[in-house]
Amino acid sequence: MADIAVKQTLPRRLGAYILGKPRDRQERLSGLSMTLPAFIFFVIFIGISITRTLLLSFQSWDAIGPATWVGISNYVNFFGDKVFSHALLVTLLLTAVLTVLLSTIPMLIAVLFNMKWGIFGTTYRTMMFMPSIISMVITAALWRMILDPNLGIINSLLGNVGLVNLQQNWLGDEHFVLYSILLVTIWQGLGLYVIIFYAGLQGVDVNLYEAAAIDGANGWQKFVNVTVPMMRPVNLMVLTLNLLNGIKMFDVIWVLTQGGPVNASQTLGTDMYRVTFANPGLPQFGYGSAISAVILFLCVLAVLFQIEMNKRKNT
Amino acid sequence: MTSEALPRPVHRSRFSLFRVFAFIILTILALVTIYPFVWMVLTSLRDARSVFAGPFFPNPIIFTNYPDAWVQTQFGSHFLNSLIVSVVSLAGILFLSITAGYGFAKLKFPFKNVIYVLLLSTMAMPAASLIIPLFLQVKSIGLLNSLWGLILVYVGSMSPFSIFLMRSFFEGVPDELIEAARMDGSGEWYTLFRVVLPLVRPGIGTVVILQFLSIWNEFLYAAVLIQSTDKQTLQPTIFHLNGRYATNWTLLAAALTMAILPIVVIYVNMQKQFVAGLTQGALKW
Repeated sequence: MADIAVKQTLPRRLGAYILGKPRDRQERLSGLSMTLPAFIFFVIFIGISITRTLLLSFQSWDAIGPATWVGISNYVNFFGDKVFSHALLVTLLLTAVLTVLLSTIPMLIAVLFNMKWGIFGTTYRTMMFMPSIISMVITAALWRMILDPNLGIINSLLGNVGLVNLQQNWLGDEHFVLYSILLVTIWQGLGLYVIIFYAGLQGVDVNLYEAAAIDGANGWQKFVNVTVPMMRPVNLMVLTLNLLNGIKMFDVIWVLTQGGPVNASQTLGTDMYRVTFANPGLPQFGYGSAISAVILFLCVLAVLFQIEMNKRKNT
Repeated sequence: MTSEALPRPVHRSRFSLFRVFAFIILTILALVTIYPFVWMVLTSLRDARSVFAGPFFPNPIIFTNYPDAWVQTQFGSHFLNSLIVSVVSLAGILFLSITAGYGFAKLKFPFKNVIYVLLLSTMAMPAASLIIPLFLQVKSIGLLNSLWGLILVYVGSMSPFSIFLMRSFFEGVPDELIEAARMDGSGEWYTLFRVVLPLVRPGIGTVVILQFLSIWNEFLYAAVLIQSTDKQTLQPTIFHLNGRYATNWTLLAAALTMAILPIVVIYVNMQKQFVAGLTQGALKW
């Protein structure tokens, strides 16, 4: 009996010894040593880069000669730059439309999926999700062929069913290019958001539906009064993701149209790239940095919006 | 009312009109979504002349587009470049996210919250805003046009998200376990790798899937930081193919099919993990 008593108190005594001051110190040191590498990476790659972008945005530099300080004239030049103004408009427009469409329609589709379909459900979800796992570059390369005015299947399909007058130059006509970009982006993103909403739906308490049914709610009322409110965190997250993705849009558009035709589909992202890395004239690192700063600013707004909305949910 | 105890909105009959309507919609959605892929594969199996005039299903089916695409685009070397960059970057990201995620979740140390908020704020930074200075920075340390430069950039820019993910997984580990390990005299690093890590395997799986996919599909950094063709990764290569073979659709389709085949194969086989990983990544926001 005595040795059991000794065995029981020994770990406790040992623990007390270990958890004393030297222990805290070890914890603190380990904590720092574990997190500092990541933090150092952050400082080098993100912190310094952001600062440099902001500093560069006040300069003019062609990457050959020295950089000259020009104050806010890059930003002032925005107003006279028709391409930039149009790019800003296109960015905001595309972001708004994509956010609305990709935050609502996938939820409705997810609700449809949530109806016990067995093997069909899994198969359909697999099929719908596939566009989301391939890269934007591949997506755009594929769709460039599909949307080709003379040989692509969209126009030939329209021709085959007799709707010849609906055939368009989907990527080369400035009136239609934005719709085409919307189509491609939605095709790519739909599956992902359906899956996210579907996962979120599984987390809604079943009893709420039964309670609503007892109160006499029909399907649509159940959706509006139970599903939507309970999915609020997911909705908010999807909304923010859509906003950020819209503001940052670059890959798909660059591969599809390079911002054409005649700058009709330029976004802030493509304009920045064009001005800095693909300029027919001399590269303008300073001006491009100013555009980058605008993109950053909009992203920060979107994140602040999410934080604010999150706070309200929690009160 | 049927007495189903299943977590679904209850319908009176399995064959209600609404259900039929829903099935039709879902079928149409699935088919429309998948059709471009079908077209792509069929086009890659055609002879170039039958792309526009030929029947829907190519007859005869030819496979020569694939070796042609492989050789002419030097597909193998670009594929390998992407693989190297993805695997090495992933290793770096895993190390950083496991250690930092654990540190933020379970340890107390000075400046913890400041560091965490700063790290998290980077998630809102778009690549477009970082690319110009990153280009200059990488150039100044002599790693421009090098796979290592790209790897460093990927690790630096994608770690915060993984740290965030791993932190939330680590928070699910009971503190008592860690206390017990401490009392047995193990140091923090040992505790992390021997005791806690096996418990967060789903988290690691999530990070691996999400980050591998992001790195593999990434275009902007890969296109800007690597200039010479032989070192290019897959996505910029495809971008150039799109321009160079703009009219050679069968070749392009073969190249595209080869490019997505590995990802699709992995996806179809590991569907559950894929979907779970992506949704957990998204929901943990």
